[in-house]
Amino acid sequence: MSNNGAYPIVTVRIQRFNPDTDKKPYLQEFQVELKPGTTVLDALHEIKAHQDGSVTFRRSCRHAICGSCAMNVNGKNELVCKAPLKERLDRKGRVTIRPLPYLPIVKDLVVDRSSFWEQYQRVKPWLVPPENIPEKEFRMSPEEVAALRNAETCIMCGACYSSCQIIALTKEYIGPHALLKAFMRVMDPRDAIPGERLADLAGGDGVYRCRTIFNCIDACPKGLNPTEAIETLRKLAQKRQAFEAARAERQKRLSEPIPSP
Amino acid sequence: MRVFQMQRISAIALLIFLTIHMIVVHYPPFHINFDIILQRMADPLWKAIDIAFLFFVLVHALAGAYVVLTDVQRFSPLKRVFAGAAIVLGVVAMYYGTVTILAFQPPA
Ligand code: FES
Repeated sequence: MSNNGAYPIVTVRIQRFNPDTDKKPYLQEFQVELKPGTTVLDALHEIKAHQDGSVTFRRSCRHAICGSCAMNVNGKNELVCKAPLKERLDRKGRVTIRPLPYLPIVKDLVVDRSSFWEQYQRVKPWLVPPENIPEKEFRMSPEEVAALRNAETCIMCGACYSSCQIIALTKEYIGPHALLKAFMRVMDPRDAIPGERLADLAGGDGVYRCRTIFNCIDACPKGLNPTEAIETLRKLAQKRQAFEAARAERQKRLSEPIPSP
Repeated sequence: MRVFQMQRISAIALLIFLTIHMIVVHYPPFHINFDIILQRMADPLWKAIDIAFLFFVLVHALAGAYVVLTDVQRFSPLKRVFAGAAIVLGVVAMYYGTVTILAFQPPA
């Protein structure tokens, strides 16, 4: 369909749910113009601004950096601000937007992320510095910095968390997002409590609950690999004491220059 | 961690035992034949292999069932009950299996 030859009209199906008035979620269709460069988030804005102001969703940066606009588009979790609308249309020219699965819906496309943040808090996502803080700077080798790269670009959007089948079954599992952050802290040579972290992660709700389903890798809009990080943590948890001793040794040399290879 | 390790170790053992089992029992040229079974079961080494096979099957299967069930949040208060049930079931099955294997005597 086209709008007097201007731009084609496409259908955006949005899952609606207002807990105060609706018994269960339902899909509502809206028509929007497919202008060049339109993202799925642009379509949602268009609908909210000109068709139905009650459509509720989260967004902030619109540049794939704040992580607030993660939703389920055509069955796949992603950041809608980064998703070109044209590429998400099916053969009938429709796109279907639902909230992140397995999380309680607050309204329409907004979900309650309490369990997500509680689990994040649980892994102590902050750096615990060593006692002997160098006067000038911590010296890390390029390899040590590279090891953190798999985790440091995580924007905490929740796409991995809500695509995980274990999260679908239980909110007691720490989850891929928090385990990825824990991986970053454990691998960081500046962190003083890797042994304590590994002991916590080896508990019943930690790394051994991952069933390597790989959904988190598929869902991550930043191309990160939480499964690989979890696998590494599993291995380290098996030799926790040796790892802890090696870290203590490494921390004695944190202010020394890195020897060139 | 312990259940995870049990699963991995028993999985490796099962790979070996299942390969032996499939080759010896199911594939030609040693195709299944009751005379061969009689001979084999008379051999104490085969009895030991079968008992070990049974042990690893039970460990792997019961640990797997425990893990699958405890993945469900609703069942998590029953973790200890499931663990206890798995141990009891494992011991009983192991006992009966071992007794059956050991009791087998080929006809004179
Ligand atoms: S709006 Fe910030 S990541 Fe999409």
